[in-house]
Amino acid sequence: MLEGHISRSFDGELAGLHIRVLEMGGLALDQVRAAARAYAEWDLHNAQLAIDREGVLITSGSRIFDDQLTLIARRNPVASDLRAIIALAKIAAELDRAGAEACKIARTVLHQSGRPGRRTSSDARHLANLATALLRLSLEALDQLDSEIADQVIDHDQDLDAEYAAGLRRLLTRALEDPANLEVTVEAAFVLKALERIGDHARNAAQQIVSLADHVAVGGQAAQQ
Amino acid sequence: MNESNQTIAPPSLRPAVFAANGEHHPDAGLNLRPSGRGNPSRLDGAVVGQTIGTVTVVDPVFSCRDVNVYYGAKHAIKGVSLDVGKKQVLAMIGPSGCGKSTFLRCLNRMNDTIAGARVTGQILLDGQDIHDPARDVVQLRARVGMVFQKPNPFPKSIYDNVAFGPRLHGLVRRRADLDELVCTSLQRAGLWNEVKDRLTQSGTGLSGGQQQRLCIARTIAVMPHVILMDEPCSALDPIATARIEDLIDELKESFAIAIVTHSMQQAARVSQRTAYFHMGSLVEVGETDRIFTNPRHRLTEDYITGRFG
Repeated sequence: MLEGHISRSFDGELAGLHIRVLEMGGLALDQVRAAARAYAEWDLHNAQLAIDREGVLITSGSRIFDDQLTLIARRNPVASDLRAIIALAKIAAELDRAGAEACKIARTVLHQSGRPGRRTSSDARHLANLATALLRLSLEALDQLDSEIADQVIDHDQDLDAEYAAGLRRLLTRALEDPANLEVTVEAAFVLKALERIGDHARNAAQQIVSLADHVAVGGQAAQQ
Repeated sequence: MNESNQTIAPPSLRPAVFAANGEHHPDAGLNLRPSGRGNPSRLDGAVVGQTIGTVTVVDPVFSCRDVNVYYGAKHAIKGVSLDVGKKQVLAMIGPSGCGKSTFLRCLNRMNDTIAGARVTGQILLDGQDIHDPARDVVQLRARVGMVFQKPNPFPKSIYDNVAFGPRLHGLVRRRADLDELVCTSLQRAGLWNEVKDRLTQSGTGLSGGQQQRLCIARTIAVMPHVILMDEPCSALDPIATARIEDLIDELKESFAIAIVTHSMQQAARVSQRTAYFHMGSLVEVGETDRIFTNPRHRLTEDYITGRFG
């Protein structure tokens, strides 16, 4: 996709970088899914899985960083190539942070601090479905370098924000009815916030993809001429 | 206007052009490109239309309008309008045969020496037409110095190499003044410390990088307004190249500099403005910072990212 250079090995290196960011996205998505399931089902196995994934995600991120440094040092990219590399760096950073949010959720379960009630679990599951859908969609946009799909992510992040606000209100109402379980409420609020942040990271990545896709459209056309 | 200039860039992305009547386009200098969102053609088309970017500068040394060069039947430069500003470096880049060197050679009338070459259009140096019949070409070339790709010191002593121009143009009367001029020129060219003990030795005995700095000292000794450089570093190693680039950066405080280079990194490092030539046309000109991060014409983008083929 990032093709058309006279030096075809440069094409290959850019394509390789693109694929590694996608792979990192796959890791982050898995981690978010595991953490969300762990909280909603209060499942220690999935919580541990999400924590274990963190190291893999960080390794993947640092390899991408190394590749980018090498590409910049060796190829001196300018214009659209330079911006593509920087955009991919920013996307990798967003994926890394999404993974860190998933870790926070998983730790709540592992530390056995405040198992949520049925209704809170249900709210968390609902938010988690929206957040993972956004992340998955943004990875699809990254895979195809499709700015229309990325635009959908940006639009739908607002839905997640609204659901988060509503979920938080319901949580507070329940806390007022049953003040004894304050710890559960505080932990649940943090979990809902983490899910909302995952959506934000998906949106930020999508914004980078929009600009990246535009540049690629240019390069692709150029290659054909 | 020649035929290729009839093809205008898409109307959705009006380029900031220098209009034929000599007035600025009202939007000249603004970034006219939409943000890129939902706009598949981020850049202007691959056709060579009118020059994109602002060809004028506030305080020009050279002011060129609609310059055409013909080598016999070949139309080598096609309606190029471009200013060279004071105290700044203008880099001219483009693939081989794009006309950048030909354009540079117009500025001190070096094309006059080529049989069958014909130059039309207006080239003003400090407001005066360089093609004025009353104009002395030798005087013109004293005001517009030139440094070539291959260092070409005279087969004379280092001192005489630098003193040659001032003697020829009668710039100094006394020997002491000439000594001082040779000394300051060599100092400004960053060569003094390396040659001060062997001024009587031949200039051709210096290393390539030193020879090139000697040529620069020879050029600045006659106190030109403009220095033209035609790939001044392409025969030099990276360290000698870095010295010359550092020198260019210092010289721009006193002179206007126009440099033709095949190294895009060099253009990015040394220049404040960059002009991209393609098949005899000036495709795009603008701030170097912008050209190398956000070019507006697809041909510029393709060339600087190495997609040309």
